[in-house]
Amino acid sequence: MTLITGGSKCGKSSLAEKLLDRYGDNKYYIAAMQPFGEEALAAIDRHRKLRAGKGFVTIERYTGLAELEIPSGSRVLLECMANLCANEMFGESGINDPEERIMRGIGHLRALTEELVIVTNNVGSDGIDYGAETNGYIRALGRINTRLAEAADCVVECVYGIPEVLKGRLLL
Amino acid sequence: MIMITGGAFQGKTEFAKTRFSLKDEDIIDCGSCELDAVPESRCVRNYELAVKRVMARGEDPLAFTDKLKCDIILMNEIGSGIIPLEKSEREWREMTGRAGCIIASRAGTVYRVCCGIAQIIKGEEI
Repeated sequence: MTLITGGSKCGKSSLAEKLLDRYGDNKYYIAAMQPFGEEALAAIDRHRKLRAGKGFVTIERYTGLAELEIPSGSRVLLECMANLCANEMFGESGINDPEERIMRGIGHLRALTEELVIVTNNVGSDGIDYGAETNGYIRALGRINTRLAEAADCVVECVYGIPEVLKGRLLL
Repeated sequence: MIMITGGAFQGKTEFAKTRFSLKDEDIIDCGSCELDAVPESRCVRNYELAVKRVMARGEDPLAFTDKLKCDIILMNEIGSGIIPLEKSEREWREMTGRAGCIIASRAGTVYRVCCGIAQIIKGEEI
Protein backbone atom coordinates (compact mmCIF):
# COMPACT_ATOMS: atom_id res chain seq x y z
CA MET A 1 0.00 0.00 0.00
CA THR A 2 1.23 3.46 -0.92
CA LEU A 3 0.03 6.71 0.64
CA ILE A 4 0.52 9.94 -1.29
CA THR A 5 0.03 13.21 0.55
CA GLY A 6 0.77 16.86 -0.07
CA GLY A 7 -1.05 20.14 -0.53
CA SER A 8 -3.63 20.96 -3.13
CA LYS A 9 -2.70 20.60 -6.81
CA CYS A 10 0.83 19.34 -6.21
CA GLY A 11 0.86 16.40 -8.63
CA LYS A 12 -0.40 13.69 -6.28
CA SER A 13 -2.83 12.19 -8.80
CA SER A 14 -0.33 12.02 -11.63
CA LEU A 15 2.14 10.28 -9.37
CA ALA A 16 -0.53 7.87 -8.13
CA GLU A 17 -1.52 6.97 -11.69
CA LYS A 18 2.12 6.49 -12.64
CA LEU A 19 2.53 4.00 -9.80
CA LEU A 20 -0.09 1.80 -11.45
CA ASP A 21 1.23 2.26 -15.01
CA ARG A 22 2.97 -1.07 -14.89
CA TYR A 23 -0.36 -2.87 -14.68
CA GLY A 24 -2.40 -3.24 -17.85
CA ASP A 25 -5.66 -4.50 -16.48
CA ASN A 26 -7.79 -5.05 -13.39
CA LYS A 27 -7.26 -1.40 -12.49
CA TYR A 28 -9.90 0.51 -10.61
CA TYR A 29 -10.15 4.17 -9.76
CA ILE A 30 -12.33 4.82 -6.73
CA ALA A 31 -13.54 8.39 -6.93
CA ALA A 32 -14.74 9.81 -3.62
CA MET A 33 -15.48 13.36 -4.69
CA GLN A 34 -19.18 14.09 -4.89
CA PRO A 35 -20.15 15.96 -8.07
CA PHE A 36 -21.64 18.98 -6.31
CA GLY A 37 -21.23 22.30 -8.03
CA GLU A 38 -19.32 23.61 -11.00
CA GLU A 39 -15.87 23.48 -9.44
CA ALA A 40 -16.23 19.83 -8.42
CA LEU A 41 -17.47 18.96 -11.91
CA ALA A 42 -14.49 20.76 -13.45
CA ALA A 43 -12.06 18.93 -11.13
CA ILE A 44 -13.69 15.59 -11.94
CA ASP A 45 -13.50 16.33 -15.64
CA ARG A 46 -9.82 17.26 -15.38
CA HIS A 47 -9.04 14.04 -13.53
CA ARG A 48 -11.02 11.96 -16.05
CA LYS A 49 -8.88 13.41 -18.85
CA LEU A 50 -5.71 12.70 -16.88
CA ARG A 51 -6.74 9.04 -16.53
CA ALA A 52 -8.10 8.59 -20.06
CA GLY A 53 -6.46 5.71 -21.91
CA LYS A 54 -4.67 4.40 -18.82
CA GLY A 55 -6.99 1.44 -18.38
CA PHE A 56 -8.82 2.43 -15.20
CA VAL A 57 -12.39 1.42 -14.51
CA THR A 58 -13.92 4.29 -12.55
CA ILE A 59 -16.07 3.52 -9.51
CA GLU A 60 -17.78 6.45 -7.86
CA ARG A 61 -17.99 5.68 -4.18
CA TYR A 62 -18.55 8.42 -1.63
CA THR A 63 -18.91 6.42 1.59
CA GLY A 64 -18.94 2.86 2.90
CA LEU A 65 -15.75 1.41 1.40
CA ALA A 66 -16.11 -1.64 3.65
CA GLU A 67 -19.15 -2.74 1.62
CA LEU A 68 -17.61 -2.10 -1.80
CA GLU A 69 -17.41 -5.15 -4.03
CA ILE A 70 -14.38 -5.35 -6.28
CA PRO A 71 -12.62 -8.38 -7.77
CA SER A 72 -9.86 -9.99 -5.77
CA GLY A 73 -6.38 -9.09 -6.98
CA SER A 74 -7.42 -5.63 -8.17
CA ARG A 75 -5.06 -2.70 -8.46
CA VAL A 76 -6.80 0.27 -6.93
CA LEU A 77 -6.24 3.99 -6.84
CA LEU A 78 -8.40 5.64 -4.19
CA GLU A 79 -8.84 9.39 -4.46
CA CYS A 80 -9.14 11.30 -2.31
CA MET A 81 -9.09 10.50 1.42
CA ALA A 82 -9.90 14.14 2.27
CA ASN A 83 -13.19 13.81 0.37
CA LEU A 84 -13.98 10.39 1.77
CA CYS A 85 -13.31 11.65 5.30
CA ALA A 86 -15.65 14.62 4.78
CA ASN A 87 -18.34 12.41 3.25
CA GLU A 88 -18.19 9.96 6.14
CA MET A 89 -18.06 12.69 8.75
CA PHE A 90 -20.72 15.08 7.51
CA GLY A 91 -23.48 12.71 6.37
CA GLU A 92 -27.25 13.03 6.39
CA SER A 93 -27.38 11.57 9.89
CA GLY A 94 -25.33 14.47 11.32
CA ILE A 95 -21.67 14.45 12.33
CA ASN A 96 -19.99 11.08 12.87
CA ASP A 97 -16.39 10.23 13.71
CA PRO A 98 -15.13 8.84 10.39
CA GLU A 99 -11.92 7.21 11.62
CA GLU A 100 -13.05 3.65 12.36
CA ARG A 101 -15.37 3.39 9.36
CA ILE A 102 -12.60 4.49 7.04
CA MET A 103 -9.98 2.21 8.58
CA ARG A 104 -12.39 -0.72 8.27
CA GLY A 105 -12.96 0.19 4.62
CA ILE A 106 -9.24 0.33 3.96
CA GLY A 107 -8.75 -3.04 5.66
CA HIS A 108 -11.39 -4.47 3.35
CA LEU A 109 -9.72 -2.98 0.26
CA ARG A 110 -6.28 -4.18 1.30
CA ALA A 111 -7.55 -7.73 1.58
CA LEU A 112 -8.88 -7.59 -1.98
CA THR A 113 -6.19 -5.62 -3.76
CA GLU A 114 -2.83 -6.59 -5.13
CA GLU A 115 -1.86 -2.95 -5.12
CA LEU A 116 -3.54 -0.06 -3.33
CA VAL A 117 -2.56 3.56 -3.81
CA ILE A 118 -4.31 6.17 -1.67
CA VAL A 119 -4.22 9.88 -2.37
CA THR A 120 -4.85 12.14 0.62
CA ASN A 121 -4.29 15.79 1.50
CA ASN A 122 -2.42 17.85 4.07
CA VAL A 123 -4.92 20.28 5.51
CA GLY A 124 -3.52 21.23 8.93
CA SER A 125 -0.74 23.70 8.11
CA ASP A 126 -2.41 27.08 7.94
CA GLY A 127 -2.92 27.73 11.66
CA ILE A 128 -6.46 28.99 11.19
CA ASP A 129 -9.14 28.27 13.78
CA TYR A 130 -12.12 27.21 11.68
CA GLY A 131 -14.43 26.39 14.59
CA ALA A 132 -15.27 23.07 16.21
CA GLU A 133 -16.66 21.18 13.22
CA THR A 134 -13.90 21.92 10.76
CA ASN A 135 -11.19 21.61 13.41
CA GLY A 136 -12.69 18.18 14.16
CA TYR A 137 -12.39 17.31 10.48
CA ILE A 138 -8.73 18.42 10.36
CA ARG A 139 -8.04 16.31 13.45
CA ALA A 140 -9.84 13.26 12.01
CA LEU A 141 -8.02 13.46 8.68
CA GLY A 142 -4.67 13.90 10.47
CA ARG A 143 -5.31 10.81 12.55
CA ILE A 144 -6.46 8.77 9.56
CA ASN A 145 -3.41 9.83 7.56
CA THR A 146 -1.14 8.87 10.44
CA ARG A 147 -2.74 5.42 10.71
CA LEU A 148 -2.60 4.90 6.96
CA ALA A 149 1.07 5.92 6.92
CA GLU A 150 1.81 3.44 9.69
CA ALA A 151 0.23 0.62 7.67
CA ALA A 152 1.66 1.69 4.30
CA ASP A 153 4.78 0.23 2.70
CA CYS A 154 5.55 3.56 1.11
CA VAL A 155 4.58 7.13 2.03
CA VAL A 156 5.27 10.03 -0.29
CA GLU A 157 4.75 13.76 0.14
CA CYS A 158 4.41 15.57 -3.16
CA VAL A 159 5.89 19.05 -3.54
CA TYR A 160 5.08 20.66 -6.89
CA GLY A 161 5.28 17.30 -8.58
CA ILE A 162 8.44 16.23 -6.78
CA PRO A 163 7.93 13.08 -4.73
CA GLU A 164 9.58 13.28 -1.30
CA VAL A 165 9.72 9.74 0.06
CA LEU A 166 8.92 9.70 3.79
CA LYS A 167 8.83 5.92 4.17
CA GLY A 168 9.86 2.87 2.17
CA ARG A 169 10.81 2.95 -1.50
CA LEU A 170 8.94 4.44 -4.39
CA LEU A 171 8.62 1.82 -7.13
CA LEU A 172 8.07 3.66 -10.39
CA MET B 1 17.63 21.94 21.99
CA ILE B 2 15.41 19.78 19.83
CA MET B 3 12.59 21.16 17.70
CA ILE B 4 9.70 19.09 16.43
CA THR B 5 7.47 20.77 13.88
CA GLY B 6 4.88 19.89 11.23
CA GLY B 7 1.21 20.55 10.53
CA ALA B 8 -1.57 20.12 13.06
CA PHE B 9 -2.53 16.57 14.08
CA GLN B 10 0.38 14.92 12.31
CA GLY B 11 1.55 12.97 15.38
CA LYS B 12 4.23 15.32 16.75
CA THR B 13 3.37 14.69 20.40
CA GLU B 14 3.17 10.92 19.92
CA PHE B 15 6.55 11.00 18.20
CA ALA B 16 8.10 13.04 21.03
CA LYS B 17 6.69 10.69 23.67
CA THR B 18 7.97 7.59 21.91
CA ARG B 19 11.31 8.91 20.75
CA PHE B 20 12.27 10.66 24.01
CA SER B 21 10.45 8.40 26.49
CA LEU B 22 8.17 11.15 27.76
CA LYS B 23 4.90 10.83 29.60
CA ASP B 24 1.92 13.14 29.08
CA GLU B 25 2.76 15.03 32.27
CA ASP B 26 6.31 15.68 31.03
CA ILE B 27 4.97 17.80 28.19
CA ILE B 28 3.70 21.29 28.97
CA ASP B 29 0.94 22.62 26.72
CA CYS B 30 1.59 26.27 25.86
CA GLY B 31 -2.12 26.79 25.22
CA SER B 32 -3.11 26.26 28.85
CA CYS B 33 -0.05 26.27 31.11
CA GLU B 34 1.32 29.04 33.30
CA LEU B 35 2.91 31.16 30.57
CA ASP B 36 5.95 32.18 32.60
CA ALA B 37 6.74 28.52 33.25
CA VAL B 38 7.33 27.89 29.54
CA PRO B 39 10.97 29.04 29.22
CA GLU B 40 12.15 26.82 32.10
CA SER B 41 10.12 23.72 31.11
CA ARG B 42 11.94 20.69 29.74
CA CYS B 43 9.45 19.93 27.01
CA VAL B 44 6.68 22.17 25.64
CA ARG B 45 4.10 21.69 22.90
CA ASN B 46 1.98 24.13 20.87
CA TYR B 47 4.67 26.78 21.21
CA GLU B 48 2.81 28.84 18.58
CA LEU B 49 0.16 29.40 21.29
CA ALA B 50 2.78 30.73 23.69
CA VAL B 51 3.62 33.28 21.00
CA LYS B 52 -0.05 34.26 20.81
CA ARG B 53 -0.39 34.57 24.59
CA VAL B 54 2.78 36.60 24.99
CA MET B 55 1.53 38.98 22.29
CA ALA B 56 -1.83 39.24 24.07
CA ARG B 57 0.06 40.44 27.15
CA GLY B 58 1.58 43.16 25.02
CA GLU B 59 5.08 41.71 25.23
CA ASP B 60 7.64 40.83 22.57
CA PRO B 61 7.32 37.14 21.63
CA LEU B 62 10.78 37.07 20.08
CA ALA B 63 12.44 38.29 23.29
CA PHE B 64 10.41 35.62 25.10
CA THR B 65 11.62 33.02 22.60
CA ASP B 66 15.24 34.09 23.17
CA LYS B 67 14.84 33.16 26.84
CA LEU B 68 13.80 29.54 26.18
CA LYS B 69 15.83 26.94 28.01
CA CYS B 70 13.71 23.97 26.92
CA ASP B 71 15.24 20.71 25.72
CA ILE B 72 12.36 19.85 23.40
CA ILE B 73 9.98 22.26 21.69
CA LEU B 74 6.97 21.17 19.65
CA MET B 75 5.49 23.78 17.37
CA ASN B 76 2.91 23.65 14.59
CA GLU B 77 3.67 24.91 11.14
CA ILE B 78 0.97 27.51 10.59
CA GLY B 79 2.15 29.63 7.69
CA SER B 80 0.89 27.73 4.66
CA GLY B 81 -2.49 29.33 4.11
CA ILE B 82 -3.93 32.59 2.88
CA ILE B 83 -2.80 35.75 4.69
CA PRO B 84 -5.43 36.21 7.41
CA LEU B 85 -7.85 39.14 7.12
CA GLU B 86 -7.56 39.94 10.82
CA LYS B 87 -4.54 42.09 11.69
CA SER B 88 -3.88 40.33 14.99
CA GLU B 89 -3.91 36.95 13.18
CA ARG B 90 -1.45 38.25 10.60
CA GLU B 91 0.86 39.51 13.34
CA TRP B 92 0.59 36.21 15.21
CA ARG B 93 1.42 34.24 12.07
CA GLU B 94 4.39 36.45 11.33
CA MET B 95 5.75 36.30 14.88
CA THR B 96 5.23 32.54 15.01
CA GLY B 97 7.25 32.19 11.81
CA ARG B 98 10.06 34.31 13.20
CA ALA B 99 10.01 32.56 16.57
CA GLY B 100 10.14 29.23 14.73
CA CYS B 101 13.21 30.39 12.82
CA ILE B 102 14.90 31.40 16.08
CA ILE B 103 14.17 28.03 17.67
CA ALA B 104 15.26 26.13 14.56
CA SER B 105 18.51 28.07 14.37
CA ARG B 106 19.29 27.32 18.02
CA ALA B 107 18.21 23.68 17.81
CA GLY B 108 20.83 21.03 17.16
CA THR B 109 18.21 18.76 15.65
CA VAL B 110 14.96 19.67 13.94
CA TYR B 111 12.34 17.07 13.08
CA ARG B 112 9.39 17.61 10.79
CA VAL B 113 6.51 15.18 11.30
CA CYS B 114 4.09 14.38 8.48
CA CYS B 115 1.49 11.60 8.77
CA GLY B 116 3.24 10.36 11.91
CA ILE B 117 6.59 10.02 10.15
CA ALA B 118 9.44 12.16 11.47
CA GLN B 119 12.11 13.38 9.11
CA ILE B 120 15.24 15.13 10.28
CA ILE B 121 15.50 18.45 8.48
CA LYS B 122 18.45 19.76 10.48
CA GLY B 123 21.28 18.11 12.38
CA GLU B 124 21.51 14.47 13.33
CA GLU B 125 19.64 11.83 15.27
CA ILE B 126 20.28 12.21 18.98
